[in-house]
Amino acid sequence: MALKEYSFTLNGKPVVVRAPPAYDLLDTLRDVLGLTGTKNGCSEGECGACTVLMNGKAVHSCLTIMEQVRGADVVTIEGLASDPESQVLLRRFAEEGAVQCGYCTPGVVMASKALLMRNPMPSAEETKEALRGNLCRCTGYSKIVKAVMKGGT
Amino acid sequence: MSLSLSDVEVDSPATLTEALQLLGRSKYRVIAGGTDVLIRMRTGPIPNEKLLNIYQLDELRYIRSDGERLRIGSLTCIADIAASPEIRRFALPLAQAGDEFGSMQLTNKATIGGNLANASPSGDCIPPLYSLDAVLTVASAGGKREIPVKDFFRGYKKLDMRPEELITEISFRKMAGDEYGQYLRHTLRLGEAISVVGVSMCLKKGPTRDEYVAARIALGAVAPTVMRAPKSEEIVTQGTLDEARMRDASKAVLESISPITDVRGTGEYRREMAVNLTYRGLREIQARGRGGT
Amino acid sequence: MSGTELKWVGKPIPRKDAHGKASGSVAFPTDMSIPGMLFAGVLRSPHPHALIKEIDPSKARALPGVAAVLTHEDIPGKNRYGAFIRDRPVLCDDKVRYVGDPVALVVATSQEEAEKALSLIEVNYEKLPAVTDPVQALTPGSPLVHPGGNICRKTRITFGDVEGAFSRAAVVVENTYRTGSQVHAYLEPEAGLGYLDDQKKLTLVVGGQSPYKDRAEICETLGLDESTVTVITPPVGGAFGGKDDVPVQLHLALAVLKTGKPVKLVWGRGESCVAGLKRHPAIVRMKTAAASDGTLLANQVEILFDKGAYAGLGPAVLDVAIENCNGPYRMPNVDIQATLAYTNNGVMSAFRGFGAPQVMFAMESQMDILAEKLGLDPLEFRLRNALKKGDEGAFRNRINSGVGIREAFEKARRHEVWRSRATEMKGDTPWTKRGVGVAGAIKGFTLGALPDKGSAKIQLLENGKFEVKVSTTEIGQGMTIAFAQIAAEALRCDLDDVTVVCGDTLRTPDTSVTSASRSTYLGGNAIIRAAEGMLGLLALSAAEHIGEPESNLQARSSAIVSSKSGRLVSYATLASKSKGLIESTGTFDVPRVAPIPGSLEIPHLFYMFACALAQVEVDTLTGSVKVKKLVLFPDAGRVINPQMFEGQVEGAAIQGLGYAIMEDAKIEEGILRTPSFATYLIPTIKDAPEIEVVAVGEPEESGPFGAKGVGEIGLVPIAPAITNAIYNATGARLFEIPATPERVYRALKGSGAPAGVNQELPPRTRSSA
Repeated sequence: MALKEYSFTLNGKPVVVRAPPAYDLLDTLRDVLGLTGTKNGCSEGECGACTVLMNGKAVHSCLTIMEQVRGADVVTIEGLASDPESQVLLRRFAEEGAVQCGYCTPGVVMASKALLMRNPMPSAEETKEALRGNLCRCTGYSKIVKAVMKGGT
Repeated sequence: MSLSLSDVEVDSPATLTEALQLLGRSKYRVIAGGTDVLIRMRTGPIPNEKLLNIYQLDELRYIRSDGERLRIGSLTCIADIAASPEIRRFALPLAQAGDEFGSMQLTNKATIGGNLANASPSGDCIPPLYSLDAVLTVASAGGKREIPVKDFFRGYKKLDMRPEELITEISFRKMAGDEYGQYLRHTLRLGEAISVVGVSMCLKKGPTRDEYVAARIALGAVAPTVMRAPKSEEIVTQGTLDEARMRDASKAVLESISPITDVRGTGEYRREMAVNLTYRGLREIQARGRGGT
Repeated sequence: MSGTELKWVGKPIPRKDAHGKASGSVAFPTDMSIPGMLFAGVLRSPHPHALIKEIDPSKARALPGVAAVLTHEDIPGKNRYGAFIRDRPVLCDDKVRYVGDPVALVVATSQEEAEKALSLIEVNYEKLPAVTDPVQALTPGSPLVHPGGNICRKTRITFGDVEGAFSRAAVVVENTYRTGSQVHAYLEPEAGLGYLDDQKKLTLVVGGQSPYKDRAEICETLGLDESTVTVITPPVGGAFGGKDDVPVQLHLALAVLKTGKPVKLVWGRGESCVAGLKRHPAIVRMKTAAASDGTLLANQVEILFDKGAYAGLGPAVLDVAIENCNGPYRMPNVDIQATLAYTNNGVMSAFRGFGAPQVMFAMESQMDILAEKLGLDPLEFRLRNALKKGDEGAFRNRINSGVGIREAFEKARRHEVWRSRATEMKGDTPWTKRGVGVAGAIKGFTLGALPDKGSAKIQLLENGKFEVKVSTTEIGQGMTIAFAQIAAEALRCDLDDVTVVCGDTLRTPDTSVTSASRSTYLGGNAIIRAAEGMLGLLALSAAEHIGEPESNLQARSSAIVSSKSGRLVSYATLASKSKGLIESTGTFDVPRVAPIPGSLEIPHLFYMFACALAQVEVDTLTGSVKVKKLVLFPDAGRVINPQMFEGQVEGAAIQGLGYAIMEDAKIEEGILRTPSFATYLIPTIKDAPEIEVVAVGEPEESGPFGAKGVGEIGLVPIAPAITNAIYNATGARLFEIPATPERVYRALKGSGAPAGVNQELPPRTRSSA
């Protein structure tokens, strides 16, 4: 296992990690950097639990290898959680009862953030389109939709 | 348990020229968005090889209007294709395939070149490119060549492409104002899923009501490669596209397809879906053609 | 505890852990790590049925990063475990019985090393013919999964005279129904961590449902003393019954004991789909009779469940199927035969609904068919037969607890969705059809006739706040907030002064298992008793402090107050005096009666009920069913937390929707064809319709503040409500679920309903769709 050095911006701060080049960003975040907020639900881009923002776009961190992260601007749920502008969104999830087991929630919040960044007042349809790649097994989605529709402001 | 890729070496060339030189010298598996390749490497059907990471080659990300043609760089991501005003206007089936393709996380990373190179018969971008008579540019260190998309796919996952080559561009003639296009697909749930059947069609309107003078109809996930349906195309242009003709044209797709039975459905069901989806597409186009939109 | 307005119970209070979960700061078992920990991996059988001739771990053991490779030779004792029948090996010895059966356990310094080691273990298998369906399993000459034969359990329960009833009946309807297997698909796969604490006691931190039951199973199977083992269940990323059969606990225990080091075990998604538990697929033949006035007379039922390779909780699941197969109706004559047949098709065990969804699909379909034959409105027909409190159930059991099904049906009948129903309504295009369907549901909560008791402990901390300790686990259902509300109400204190500690054999008493929708009922009652005890102790202490007799004193707003003088002493003051030593344990024993002959847990004394309305749109070109709206009328007794309650019902309903139309865990020749989220389709946000939840029912007298169980019932009526709606829309009846697009399309063609452009009927093949 040959390790390489990767410099990128993580939650607004420059960071350098050593990792194998084909290691995925998800494992790097969780196992190398100890940031376990981003979750592994399937390792194949079907469940969305691993969603992070890379250069402003929501992507699967389980399908992004470290070679593709070099120089990128990565935001994880931990970054969002300490961002004053995102507190409202997190609060809405709590207030609307949109969290049950909570395992999918960080990924859902990240995808919601990506939506709200371009569309601060989404309709139910627009919310569902944006979150179609995030699986939740507990909530039945109703309260997630409500939380996101209220979530920008 | 999925196989770890910790021992896989990766080279990330800075330019296309460098990428082609590397490909000319060594054996690589190419990774663009990674949304197909990584899954297949982890579950074992393809052996761990050296990866050539081309994701950073921004010179291959563009959507350009070039006179009558639209040119798309092979690393353009599906989200950009779906959002592009030019593609929506001049190549609607391709934009619609982008809409259907998958989640935002997927389309932000998956590339049109990757969808082609992966060569799955159910790849959503491929039937639209057939119905647009698209041409692929394939490059190597030794130069480039152009291949019509229908000649690029030789059989199930068999491409007219050598290991030292990369797809660099996809281009096609823009659809004109009197041409109507549609992409439809059938999946087993309302949320995203791999297509059971996909149909793309481009029809050229004639001067009289319900008259169509040219048709290109392509079907995906119903044969080892995407297939055009020449008999259907012929029927569409032979007379007024009324209910009976639409039904006949739809049924005629059966002559061109040979769907298999797999976990998503039986061959029998896929045959029915190919016919029904074609019908739905023709009805959609008939309605638009009548409305003049 | 009555008369006065409740302060906390009944309020939609947001759960306190929501922010931590949403922001990623709450740790799940998959998130946890200990410095120096090793990683375990399981080698699993690639064959559905094979003899193990030889296992050679030598190459794997030789790898530098490998700490241990264990096989059955490392298992002490009999190497068999199981909740009802101890038929399951910890690591296979004589043979493998399903694809995924564990054969060896590797422990290594990294996940990668563990994977490498797994690939180097050589196993010599001799393939055996596989038992691939339950009907085949029961045929003489079938290969045997276990030496005792392929019948895991078989029983017959009869009351009254069904044949006599059939001869008198105006209508008799007989059909065979099939239901498929369902994968739990929790977002967090099976996982856990184990280590030896500084007293060398084995501690497991696992994604499970019942830490005491887990501990008992670990100790019994591995020959350990319970005092040397601790099991802790932190917040789990979903369970739904799939984590109740010790999926990782035994392997972790072995790995830690063998290496002396901390060990982590995390299943991959594919591993979870293939090797994990599933819902029992069923074949249910039902012959149901009614009189001309619509009174149900008799039900003759044959239930055959595909058990898979090991018993697990199957024997109890079969019982629940038997108990609920007559639906929420009076049924004077019953003849129910039920069989669990072993096959080599994976392992089936508990899954939300626990046997009721399978039989409810059959019964609620029968109800619609009978109604049509009788010329009665489907809801009217159901109302005529709906159970009421005080009625006798099919098993000659008097139902003296809350029965809200009549109210559920009545509200459904008045609901706009039902009133807008007409036959074969058209949709937006010529080929879409709209329909509305109804279904009722019943399922007992708690463990019925099986002993079921649990305890809760409340401790007054030095700062005047309370810690409520229960061993039930937070698997997403919001147990922590509901228990906090119950405790705060019972303790007459502020909600913020209550912290719930759960799922820990060291710190919490045994509140028994988190399943059977019993946590609120049993745990809540235990908490109330503990609270009563606590208030008694506080009154005693306050009497001394205030200098008045206890009879003057009552608890109010975090203080003990004298109703005579008005003098009071706060809990905080009493707490600082007692230095955290005041604690009270409450135990609740669920009332039960003896099981009827032939059963394990029939009857329950308490039942959940629900009615569901489904509004669907069927695309006759593809067979796709779009569920436009679901309305649920669950009988919840008193709702402790309306927000959590709605969340549970909505979540259960969407799992029911998946079960009804898209979740198809196809096992063919013993091999799961859907081993990932790409092929096993669960509902996405786009598949989820608008859901309306209308709580019905009276407070359950014996429940904590009148609460009943609620976790499962939302799932049970959904499949038949949807298939009844498909019939209403198209005239095509589905006798098999999931009603995937292909199945619906074939049903349309088979019924002669217009479908598709090709009017010729394709040949029907049952098993291909």
